[in-house]
Amino acid sequence: MRTVAPAVVFFALAGLVPLVVRDAFLLDAVVLILIWGASAAAWNVAGGYAGQVSLGHSAFFGVGAYAAALLATRWQLSPWLGLVVGALVATTVGLVIGYLSNRLRGPYFVLATIAFSQVLLIVGSRWRGFTAGSEGIPVPFRPGFWTLGIADKRVWVWIILALAVVVYLVELYLERSRRGYQLAAVREDEDAALSLGVPARALKVAAIAVSAALTAMCGALWAQYVGFVDPFYVFSVDLSVRFALAAIIGGLGTALGPFLGSLLVTTLETYLRAQFGGIGAGFVGIYLIIYGVILILVVRFVPAGLTGWLAARGTRRAAAGG
Amino acid sequence: MHHRRSFVMALAIVTVIALAVAGSHGQQAPSGEYKIGVLQPLTGPLAVQGKLHLEGYEIMRDLINSQFGGVMGKKLVFAVGDGPDPTAVASEATRLATREGVKIITGTFSSTLCGAASEAASRQNAIYWETSCVDPRFTRRNLKNVFRTEIDGTGFGWYNIEFIAKHLAHRLGKKPNELRIAYLSEDSSYGQSVTESARQRAKQEFGMQEVAPPEYYTFTTNDLTPIILKLKNTNPDILHHIARDQDAILFWRQAREQNFQVKAVVHAGATGYGTPGFGKAFGNDANGPFALLEPGPGLIIEKFRPEGQRVERAFREAVKAKTGSDVLTGGHQLAGGGLWILKLALDAAKTDDLDKFRAAVLSLDLPVGSGVNGWGVKFDEAGQNSNARVQHYMLQWQNGSLVTVWPEEFTTNRAKWIPLGPWDQRK
Amino acid sequence: MPLAQLIASTLLLGGIYALIAVGLTLIFGVMRVVNFAHGEFLMLAMYVAFWSFSLLHADPYLTLIVSLPLFFAVGWLSYSVVMRPIIHTSHNVQVFTTVGLSIVLQNVALVLWTADARFLRTDYYAVALRFAGAVFNWAQLVAFAVAVLLTAALFAFMRWTYTGKVMRATAQDRQAAALMGIDTNRVYAITWAVGIACVGAAGVLLAPIYPVYPTAGLQFVLIAYVAVVLGGLGDMAGALIAALVVAAVEVIGSYVVGTAWKEVLYLLLFIGILVVRPAGLFGQRGAEAFGS
Repeated sequence: MRTVAPAVVFFALAGLVPLVVRDAFLLDAVVLILIWGASAAAWNVAGGYAGQVSLGHSAFFGVGAYAAALLATRWQLSPWLGLVVGALVATTVGLVIGYLSNRLRGPYFVLATIAFSQVLLIVGSRWRGFTAGSEGIPVPFRPGFWTLGIADKRVWVWIILALAVVVYLVELYLERSRRGYQLAAVREDEDAALSLGVPARALKVAAIAVSAALTAMCGALWAQYVGFVDPFYVFSVDLSVRFALAAIIGGLGTALGPFLGSLLVTTLETYLRAQFGGIGAGFVGIYLIIYGVILILVVRFVPAGLTGWLAARGTRRAAAGG
Repeated sequence: MHHRRSFVMALAIVTVIALAVAGSHGQQAPSGEYKIGVLQPLTGPLAVQGKLHLEGYEIMRDLINSQFGGVMGKKLVFAVGDGPDPTAVASEATRLATREGVKIITGTFSSTLCGAASEAASRQNAIYWETSCVDPRFTRRNLKNVFRTEIDGTGFGWYNIEFIAKHLAHRLGKKPNELRIAYLSEDSSYGQSVTESARQRAKQEFGMQEVAPPEYYTFTTNDLTPIILKLKNTNPDILHHIARDQDAILFWRQAREQNFQVKAVVHAGATGYGTPGFGKAFGNDANGPFALLEPGPGLIIEKFRPEGQRVERAFREAVKAKTGSDVLTGGHQLAGGGLWILKLALDAAKTDDLDKFRAAVLSLDLPVGSGVNGWGVKFDEAGQNSNARVQHYMLQWQNGSLVTVWPEEFTTNRAKWIPLGPWDQRK
Repeated sequence: MPLAQLIASTLLLGGIYALIAVGLTLIFGVMRVVNFAHGEFLMLAMYVAFWSFSLLHADPYLTLIVSLPLFFAVGWLSYSVVMRPIIHTSHNVQVFTTVGLSIVLQNVALVLWTADARFLRTDYYAVALRFAGAVFNWAQLVAFAVAVLLTAALFAFMRWTYTGKVMRATAQDRQAAALMGIDTNRVYAITWAVGIACVGAAGVLLAPIYPVYPTAGLQFVLIAYVAVVLGGLGDMAGALIAALVVAAVEVIGSYVVGTAWKEVLYLLLFIGILVVRPAGLFGQRGAEAFGS
């Protein structure tokens, strides 16, 4: 998928939805698709483009969420500022994590990132004096644009869409620029890249830092949208898995992939939960079994992700059509 | 021919009228439906309690429909949503309010969910009726559509210390300010809020001696021996232990192994020492600890007011019919009690229009003993049911099951083993 | 400081971690797969023990004997159905397959048996040996003994049997092993099945000690990984010793610093090892880069 046409279509459609749809639940679904898509795309910067597959990105998401929530509750500052502060703090954390885990490959790297996110979870849930501990932080809803107190979900769609486009553009930069090519070389074969003089180690750390900043921005917006920051959720491994999952299902290392992946995964999850979740006290958990089975199947039969699958169909059709 | 046709027409008209009349004779039973949204964590780490709460709602709903005329004269029905985490619960709240078109959403039991759920409900201008979460900040957000029937976390701590200071102290032959108290708790929102509020009241109002700073642990911990060793060193009189399910079982087993001696163990809430699971795990060896809960066996229902007795008896029978057990769980009682008050509010307001509903809720003034669990009703401006009206009871494990032991005027049972004594001798 | 009891607790807790780590180091070491479902197999074994006890009144130590072949079969089956098709694909696909498997197993348990925490209360659950001023829970003592035996058995197996050598060869270099005529697929199947059999035994031994519920595996899995990495991939004895080290950090840290921070301690230990010496205490330097 080397053209931007599909992405333009995707984002344009997303932008048009609020003009056509009034139903708050559908709009909510779109917001979630975009937020998880943006988070997945942010993850993709490190995981797909730099080959640093992490399952600890919730660390950055949580930092962003807490930054927004704390600035709003402790110092009555605008959550937009929280976005910036969160990005800065997350960049620092990302630099530390990137530097410390620089030499680690494959499963070792995965485990290290999990460990880092769990350390942040414990700090977030025990530091009662600063973060209100396990009780989490209810994010105040103060109506207004600068306080991000927005009841109308249509506006939320556009706000998240703006962030999504920004993350997409960062991914696009990595696909098209010289730095991006260097990063791809590091991803494919780090030793070969080093021998060519590519600053592999610095690039890897930078990728993680950028990825961290973007993820934190998603977290900050999420906090303002949902209205409650719970450390056990925002720093959870489940959340990290969600980001990676959407990116992989959509197409690792492709710019639109994470968004397509999020579209599929979020829609599926929301649909399954609405259909089967409320079945009553008897059959809880069935929708998650379905979800897990689908995950196993998709990852096995469509490993290049949706973008790979669509691209292959396109090529075949082109070849067949002549 | 004409006669035939007009005969058939007349027959048809008479049939229609007869059916209409027959249909309208069903007025004693509620006609038409009134739907509310029910949100609980049915999957994920909080599923045990979420499921119990949902079951409590279902039992109370069926009871309301069959014996109490439904809600506002209509049959009460549910649209159920699963909310295992804050994002999901917000999403489901939105779905219930928009797709299912409910004006009232009730739930969600957990302190980490009620914030997000109520925010989402508020965005859709739906009424949010919380029946269990205990985060004190929940009712401090100036939201006019948010109500809570259960006391908040500070209330749990308040009642625990009330029990310790007013009942345990003199039975141990000490004044409250001579009591040595140790705090142990799982570290989630629930444990932290109850423990901190208990500490505060114990210290400020009664001057109880805190033998060490509170120990918090993750409820999925694999080993509590080091904490038990530290507790043995500090030698408290009372252990205030807020536990979830797994850790209560682990602690009780390891405390026994280490022969940890303490004069009383006090817990609050429908988890850990407050679930039937604790008794199933240990049988008679579970005897001894106290848990602050809704009223259990031994309750003298006659102490309730007549309307309270009627609904309490009916509810207990309904729970027994559904679960086969004489013992209600805290989850059932919180959900059933909260739903009952919602019915009272809706019947009084006769509408779910926010302003009229809110006015009706705030005007309800029922003393202790009026409703399920012996609860009264008196909401304040913040939408919080007053701690004093939401009577809580202290239960104790005796003979492998939980029985009500306090306040003494409400129960036939009395607290035993004060002090607890050796592990093998609590029969 | 009640040193005797702290040492006793370290040994007993370490034994439990070792039981789980031993199967994990085998799988991780030979196949380089981060098995996210390892804790769920543990949980399933705990339920097997619980239900055998409740319904058939079978003592868990009896169930243990049955569980070894049972979980070997479970391992073989899960490998053929779930793992084999993706074993030669990218690392990400493997990770997410095991994540999916973990979600499925947890929720199957939830649907079948509800989230209630059960406890396998044997007549001797409260029996404890008192020795040298410390208390040793009997069931944990047995678990410790089995952990040591199992480690020794696997060590011997890997060192001195042909299959063991074949497994070690595959662990060191998959392609070279294939070139040597080793059927790597069969090796992986056996590795996986043995690893699951080990964790199955662990689960049965844990059932009389810990409450059983659908997410019971989660609280052991991360710690097991710490032990595995610390001890060096594929190193049985290393896993055992590392498990004891982790337990020591937990127990002593809990006592000295406070239980609220004990997870941070072993997580920092984990990060420290990964940063300074990822091959672990006993692994070859640079081993973490091979075989991936």
